[in-house]
Amino acid sequence: MKSRYLVTGVAVVALLSACGVFRGDDQDSKAAVSTGVTSEPCPKALDKTKGCVYLGTISDLTAGPFAALAVPITDAQKAFWKRVNTAGGIGGKYEVDVETYVRDNKYNPEVHRQVYNEMKDKVLGLAQTLGSPTTAAIIGDLKANSVVSAPASWTSAWEFEDVIVETGSNYCVEAMNSVDYAMEVYKPKSVMAVHLAGDYGADAAAGAKVAAERNKLSFTAVETPPGATEQGRAITEITKNKPDLVILTTGPADAAAIVGQAAAAGFKGRFIGTGPTWNPALLKSPAAPALKALYEQSATGKPWGSDTPGHQAMRAALPGVTPNDGYTSGWAWAYPMKAALEKMAAGGDISRKGLLAAVKTLSTVDYEGMLPPEAGNFAGDPDAATFRQTLVNKVDETAPTGVTIVKDFFTGSTAQSYKMDGPCFGKL
Amino acid sequence: MKGLLESVIRGLGNGSIYALLALGFVIIYKATRVISFAQPALMLAGAVAVSYLAEVTGFLPAVLLAALLIAAVALGIERVAIRPMVGRPVFVVAIITLGIDVVVRVVVNALIGRDVRQMHDPWGFSLVEFGGLVVQQRWLAMLATTAVLVGLLYAFFRHTRYGLAIRAAAFDQETALAQGVSVGMVFALSWGLAGFLAAIAGMFVGTGQGIEQLTWIVALKALPAIIVGGLDSLGGAVVGGLTIGVVESLFQSYQGEVAPWLGQNFAVVTPYVVMLVVLLVRPYGLFGTREVERV
Amino acid sequence: MSESGVPTGRSRRPRGRPLLYTSYAQDMALLDTRAKRGWTLALVVLAFALSAVLVDRSLEVLAGAYVLAIGAIGLNIVTGYAGQVSLGHAFFVAIGAYTGAALSGPADGRTLGYGLTEIWIWLPAAGLVAALAGVLVAPLATRLRGLYLAIVTLGLVFLGEHVFKEWDHLTGGPGVGRPAAVPVLFGVPLHEDGPLGTREQALYLLMLVLLIVFAVAARNLARSRVGRAFMAIRDRDIAAEVMGVPLTRYKVLAFGISSFYAGCAGALLYSITGFVEPGSFSLLMSVQFIAMVLIGGVATVSGAIAGALFISLLQPLTRALPSLLPFISADTTQTPNVFQVETVLYGLLIILFLVFEPRGLFGIWIRVRTYWKSWPFSY
Repeated sequence: MKSRYLVTGVAVVALLSACGVFRGDDQDSKAAVSTGVTSEPCPKALDKTKGCVYLGTISDLTAGPFAALAVPITDAQKAFWKRVNTAGGIGGKYEVDVETYVRDNKYNPEVHRQVYNEMKDKVLGLAQTLGSPTTAAIIGDLKANSVVSAPASWTSAWEFEDVIVETGSNYCVEAMNSVDYAMEVYKPKSVMAVHLAGDYGADAAAGAKVAAERNKLSFTAVETPPGATEQGRAITEITKNKPDLVILTTGPADAAAIVGQAAAAGFKGRFIGTGPTWNPALLKSPAAPALKALYEQSATGKPWGSDTPGHQAMRAALPGVTPNDGYTSGWAWAYPMKAALEKMAAGGDISRKGLLAAVKTLSTVDYEGMLPPEAGNFAGDPDAATFRQTLVNKVDETAPTGVTIVKDFFTGSTAQSYKMDGPCFGKL
Repeated sequence: MKGLLESVIRGLGNGSIYALLALGFVIIYKATRVISFAQPALMLAGAVAVSYLAEVTGFLPAVLLAALLIAAVALGIERVAIRPMVGRPVFVVAIITLGIDVVVRVVVNALIGRDVRQMHDPWGFSLVEFGGLVVQQRWLAMLATTAVLVGLLYAFFRHTRYGLAIRAAAFDQETALAQGVSVGMVFALSWGLAGFLAAIAGMFVGTGQGIEQLTWIVALKALPAIIVGGLDSLGGAVVGGLTIGVVESLFQSYQGEVAPWLGQNFAVVTPYVVMLVVLLVRPYGLFGTREVERV
Repeated sequence: MSESGVPTGRSRRPRGRPLLYTSYAQDMALLDTRAKRGWTLALVVLAFALSAVLVDRSLEVLAGAYVLAIGAIGLNIVTGYAGQVSLGHAFFVAIGAYTGAALSGPADGRTLGYGLTEIWIWLPAAGLVAALAGVLVAPLATRLRGLYLAIVTLGLVFLGEHVFKEWDHLTGGPGVGRPAAVPVLFGVPLHEDGPLGTREQALYLLMLVLLIVFAVAARNLARSRVGRAFMAIRDRDIAAEVMGVPLTRYKVLAFGISSFYAGCAGALLYSITGFVEPGSFSLLMSVQFIAMVLIGGVATVSGAIAGALFISLLQPLTRALPSLLPFISADTTQTPNVFQVETVLYGLLIILFLVFEPRGLFGIWIRVRTYWKSWPFSY
């Protein structure tokens, strides 16, 4: 009885001091160049003579709604930085470690903040901070401490945050381009946006609305809850109103339910889904014939199987994985961080301030062909820096992720003339 | 009128999923007086098991195997985590089932991985026409399967020793024990049955579009269903499930025109509204037993 | 309380007989023994001292735990003392959070705001609005009992979630959210580094003081006429009614007070992170509150606090544990990896705890106390 409590007590104290919860004892003994940068090598260093830049990753790794995407994103980024280190690291002086500080946010803002607080004194920036509400819980601290972070979503809110280095067009622009693309190819008269609520779905729906107004199309927005069995209303609205074009911004299973059942009920209009709506496994679902007949996929980057140096490097770095465009996105998101780190190293100010200053002068980023260099514009005001090119894919069973490009990077006239003056989702 | 009937049939289809899940809740409740919050995880586990097994054995054997497998898993859970809690406050046990739900779901999520998993069911989104109505085959399959299972359950409870044992234990645990009923067996049996039903329900949830990690939320709809029907009534669970399915489906089809001021997606919360309305009139649900109070 | 023949007031105990009560007031005193007084004082001093000892992020976690403890005490009033199991606590927490956020939010912001940042304005307001909601819900609740009540209150959470998701002028909408209540006390902003130390130290102290206030109030309520009525209802409501306890009035009161606590906790909780999102107020939150009460110990204020600390510290703890088991992979492609182990541990620890200690932390405390009291004859 007595020894049990004693053991528990000792264990608790040991654990607490191991976590460094006492004030003053988390002064780093390592030779720190700056917060999150050491002159000592990384724990898994390839070259022991180089220093180490630590980047944190806070993602939805087990039980949250985006775990299915977050895991490949995180893996791709590990592979990306491993390749960077193999190629000589940053400025020949530092290697990058993204494996020591990987934490699960369970898609909960409070947890996100807790794990961020645990790592914030040990990382230079964040290689990934997944989710809008979760990132919103730490954005004040990111800004106050100049912690440059790469997001894992394409919401238009990121255009307005200096410390966030986003890659690819936002959902809002993506939907505008989709409508413009449909104007060229299908000449629709009516557009319906079927979307989830919030920073993802409402962002795209707002873009579709802007494009529909500009093209003088009738527009309706149908907000739908997540969950494949909840799509009855969306399907009813589609089959009842028979729009010529549906911009779909949901999860993959929701999309299968909507497209499959609407088609079965005789709907003949076109669907264009926003990036995360697609999943290659949908081709094995009963909705596959309907998807092949009616569905296209807008995207912010080229799919897994594309033939660019970046894609080839990615495929080589991730041998044996099941192709998934989560990997492609994760890989592409890492390029601006790499460019900023290199610029910081070249500038000599190895610190958070130096990194943020480097970001603010980046007007192009070498994506090795995955995206046009101007996608990495972080200089200038948000409206000028917003990247407005997306592409459209068609369903193709033979492609590794089930889609091939039908229209390469383009900017529609709506997106071209649209002034980015605030997050789109607030304007629906 | 045609649209209305089609909407009702869709509701009956989804409602039979809720009914199967609700039956699981009610069986466990009757036997152990506990609401098992592990049902969502078991449902998802059943669907995942079907999706893997169907690739090997074909659809129908896979469903049967998966249901038995999940029943076995449920038996295991009951033996390890629930049996030691006999006689403990029911809310403590309910929280334990929530812990189980978390644990099982992490395992199941790992099995689902990043892709939507398919059931390989024969129905897909194919339609069938009868009497001028065009409805999806799977709604009818759900309804028919549920009818058969309910019939079997009725026979089981009415005409077998084990069914009698469960009813006896549900009526009064101590007296049943005194009469030689193994209450432990009753507990195990109820969990096994609930697991079996949850797996079938999970399979039906996955027909057509497949399942993903978030699909577990569907199972929560069974909670208002059991309250509508009455916590301890098996028939009530079926009626409650179907009612909620139909009301939800009608709201999905017509609320946008009839009552747009309720906000988009009001259909999502209709199960709870139905529940509140029923309870205002009948505090023990439609078929629940009114508690007799002695001081 | 003075009846003839019974000694009244704070009559002195005979010297050398510290456990002999000579009056009812002594028996019902807040801290009835010298040991309790000493230990409580020591604990409070320790809690204040922690603000100077612990690092900021730990203080933030603890400050959050203290706020959750306020909420858990509230749930304990309705569930532990009055016996009405409520799974709707998250709904009342949400009402408080949004009342606080709306009152203290900037008047010209994207979301509703009135710019009243003083904590003594928005905190009571948040509590009162939530209490009002509780009182409105209570009449339905008084008709039901047990699991029916639990699931109906659960329905409240889902209805609330729907309203909060739709009402985006107030809440910012799902996935977007809004700034939370701004804690300013007499012109001193507590959410920035200031005279009380760092932001985290200031918030920690604020939450600690408030927790003590709310805890003492709850303890006093429990030993009052109202508290005794609650317990009578819990133990046998019909018997209580026969004895002259008006059931409906007291059940409504229990819901009202409990919701007041929940509302205050909600307003305070998000002022720590500065951000509130409507998806937070889900079934999961209600369940966590129930878990706090059960793990801490039903119908005890100290139990609710202990339970809140347990649940809040469980996550940082489970995050730290896998690092002690180096054979588990940190690679997310493998199963099992540390993140899965972490999530499973969270569930497992709750299960194990309740299987082995169904009376909760308070039960452990009682056992330890008995052990020492009966020492050296304890076995």
